[in-house]
Amino acid sequence: MVENMLKASANPCIKFNMKSTIFIIPIVIVIGVLVYILSLIILGGLKALNLDLLFTSIMYGGIFEAIIGTFLLLVGTSILALPISIATAIYLTEYAPKGGKTVKIIEQSIDNLAGLPSIVVGLFGYEFFVKMLGFGVSLLSGWLTLLIMVIPIVTKATKEAILMVPEEFRKVASALGATKWDIIRDIILPISMPGIASGIILGMARISGETAAILFTACTLTARGIPATPLEPIISLSYYLFVVIFTSPGSAYTKAYALATILMSITVSLYSIAIIVRFHYRKRKRW
Amino acid sequence: MLMNKVILGFLIIGIAIIGGTLYYFTRPTKIQIRIAGSTTCLPIIQEAAIQFMSEHPEVSINVEGGGSGHGYASLIDRAIDIAMASRPPKQVEVDQATQNGVELRLHKIAMDAVVIIVNPKVADDYLNLTLEQVAKIFAGNYTKWKEVDSSLPNEDIIVFTREAGSGTRGTFEEHVMETFGLEITADAHEVPSNPQMAISIKNTDYSIGYVGLGFYNEHDHGIVYLAVNDTSPYIPPTKENIYSLEYPIARYLYLVTNGEPEEGSWISRFIAFVLSSEGQQIVEEKGFLSLPSEND
Amino acid sequence: MGETDIETIWRRIPQESVAFKQIFFVKEKRVKEDLLIRKIFLFLSTISAALVLLIITFVFLESIPVFTSNLIVNIFQETTWRPAYNSFGILPLIVGSFVVVFIAILIALPIGVGASIYISEFAPKKLRDPLLSVIELLASIPSVIYGFIGLVFLVPFISQLLKLNSGATALTASLILIPMIVPIIISISSEILSSVPKEYREISAALGASKFQTTLKVILPASKSGIFASVILAFGRAIGETIAVLFVCGATGKFPSFPFITESVLTMTSAIAMYMGEAAIGENLYYVLFFIGFSLMLISFIVNNIAERIVEKQREKVGGIRIW
Repeated sequence: MVENMLKASANPCIKFNMKSTIFIIPIVIVIGVLVYILSLIILGGLKALNLDLLFTSIMYGGIFEAIIGTFLLLVGTSILALPISIATAIYLTEYAPKGGKTVKIIEQSIDNLAGLPSIVVGLFGYEFFVKMLGFGVSLLSGWLTLLIMVIPIVTKATKEAILMVPEEFRKVASALGATKWDIIRDIILPISMPGIASGIILGMARISGETAAILFTACTLTARGIPATPLEPIISLSYYLFVVIFTSPGSAYTKAYALATILMSITVSLYSIAIIVRFHYRKRKRW
Repeated sequence: MLMNKVILGFLIIGIAIIGGTLYYFTRPTKIQIRIAGSTTCLPIIQEAAIQFMSEHPEVSINVEGGGSGHGYASLIDRAIDIAMASRPPKQVEVDQATQNGVELRLHKIAMDAVVIIVNPKVADDYLNLTLEQVAKIFAGNYTKWKEVDSSLPNEDIIVFTREAGSGTRGTFEEHVMETFGLEITADAHEVPSNPQMAISIKNTDYSIGYVGLGFYNEHDHGIVYLAVNDTSPYIPPTKENIYSLEYPIARYLYLVTNGEPEEGSWISRFIAFVLSSEGQQIVEEKGFLSLPSEND
Repeated sequence: MGETDIETIWRRIPQESVAFKQIFFVKEKRVKEDLLIRKIFLFLSTISAALVLLIITFVFLESIPVFTSNLIVNIFQETTWRPAYNSFGILPLIVGSFVVVFIAILIALPIGVGASIYISEFAPKKLRDPLLSVIELLASIPSVIYGFIGLVFLVPFISQLLKLNSGATALTASLILIPMIVPIIISISSEILSSVPKEYREISAALGASKFQTTLKVILPASKSGIFASVILAFGRAIGETIAVLFVCGATGKFPSFPFITESVLTMTSAIAMYMGEAAIGENLYYVLFFIGFSLMLISFIVNNIAERIVEKQREKVGGIRIW
């Protein structure tokens, strides 16, 4: 308001936009880089992609199992993470004595889990799940390793969603004779559902492009079709891309572009869906 | 209402976990063979696995690279069934294996040679060097190509090497570096596989490196003809020279198992396949040498 | 009033008493159910905490042998990282990691803060959220793809630009890290900048300052600690990045010499990635790798902790006008 008054006064001593336009440069750089990277991949991908490639087995030059592998990793990890994360978030917000030691410990643990470098998680997963527990390089080892990275994301999102439920709802329900569990089951969970959903999608987006953690824990190069049990290894888009880049003769990056385009589409779509869900959710909930 | 659904949910998860564990212990008959290791053997074994699987649909073979060191380490830690190796095990690995109760049993599957390749800017098709010159180049004793030979360009030598456990590196060190008591320079760039070495030499001007024979490509690389000392002739790595062992860095490629595989087991059948004429044909197709028969 | 803690009251009054049944109108079954559910939730939550404990303990335990053997001497005295010759010098790795991250932050900071200033001060309000979302997209691209682009486009470019024979240098690694950390700086800094109270800007304008002067001399200093927190988090992200850096760092085991920019380096993360396949359990290399992993873990804990404290303090501070 004051700015408008000053603008209106047309005082020549007050310079407005000349020096300020300098700040548009960094934005242009950032968006420019994004567009450049996207176009590099997409343009290469458009040339390389065709339905054949997508559905032929890896053994014969296609990338079918890579798509299946990524899908299995994503879905499996999410299913395993769901109960643990939701329960943790609910416990932290509803049950635990506020500010008590348990809350602090669990919250600290979750935050620390989120900050772990992915290669350290991969090293742990390889030595512990693959070798020591004897699961071998398998889908299961991959799930357990990725679980470590997904739990903090979903827990945090669920916690935020639950905290947005107004306190009055809980008090009113209590006054009517509802138990804690009644409140959670019938009020809190249904209201937080979109927030939880965006959390899971965010988790899936995070691990869709993950390579370091599954490099040695879940992936192989030759696989026949879809694994019959979770104790078999899979091949994922990110891993296959990693290997293909390193072993492709200079200019023939066709397969690499195809893989990169599909991988990027999956990751970007998941992130976008999560952003949209979160956005709508925040817009709608006006108590 | 919802409560029952939640309990149902927990029950389902519980059943899934228990069911999964039971399933694991009483597994159905899909056979799985896990193979990992040398990137030199990788193209051969990958192709062999594909062909073997198409002939035997009930078997699933998983193959991955990682280098001979990875192969040995994984076999010793019992994470795989067969290791691919382009060198015999080091003493440390043998000790580690005995500690873990693993017996390393080597099966020769092909012959190969470690060839020294250079970027085409150094030499377009071939270059004559003695073993000692090569050792000194890799040790960093020469920094520019001109120092090696005045006919070469006056450019910095860029050295590439493989990772510590690599079989190709191990063979190279044994036959070249150790003979002269030298170590590969710390300035050398490390790459973790044969294909990557081949690409790096092709793309990096004035570089030098080493690969298994099957990864040398005359369009992309210049090749070194090796002489044992300055009075001997320079030997090109041709098949004849490798079979006759005149080429100084000839070697075998191996599949390694934990002890002798059971007669008739899938592992022994796969190894037999690789040793059969079909398997050896794959070896030749990939640019390596099939095992000499007893008559050679 | 605090929580509506039915359970506390439940626990204090004996459940068989008439008073209890009169107060709560609940059947015994539901009371027991509720407490049981609470225990289930507690159990599932402890899985999360247990997982963290498991990882920390495991990584720590597996790195202990480094301290109890003479490996610790090897690690800190050797000036090269050459496991083939039993040389496990960690110093070249540490220098490699820090140089790459430092250069990346040096370049990413002005870009990130500049873009945040634009978003929070100059962009039309409606454009703010879409811009932030688009920038988040940059952070969402998988690191393999960054590595791909780095290897195929950036490495040859750098080699031509700096007339080097090999374009895989510390500078290349830093450049590929920048698009990964700029979004972190932007998302936190723009929030911090926006949270500076309106009054600051109004008073400043009333005193005759231009928007540019206000931003530079008033808003930025007020957001100093928040921006610092974003840098710390960016640091944490960058130092933990493995795949993208692996493609372009050049992977030499030597101690990088002064004009770090044109040197090929090996970072702590790339070293783990390159060597973890070869280390059989119980080998020297195995323990050294865990030592490196433990150091990385420690760094990430410290980084997250510092950043959290700063953000909390900033939230407490920005509550009103402070006349200074």
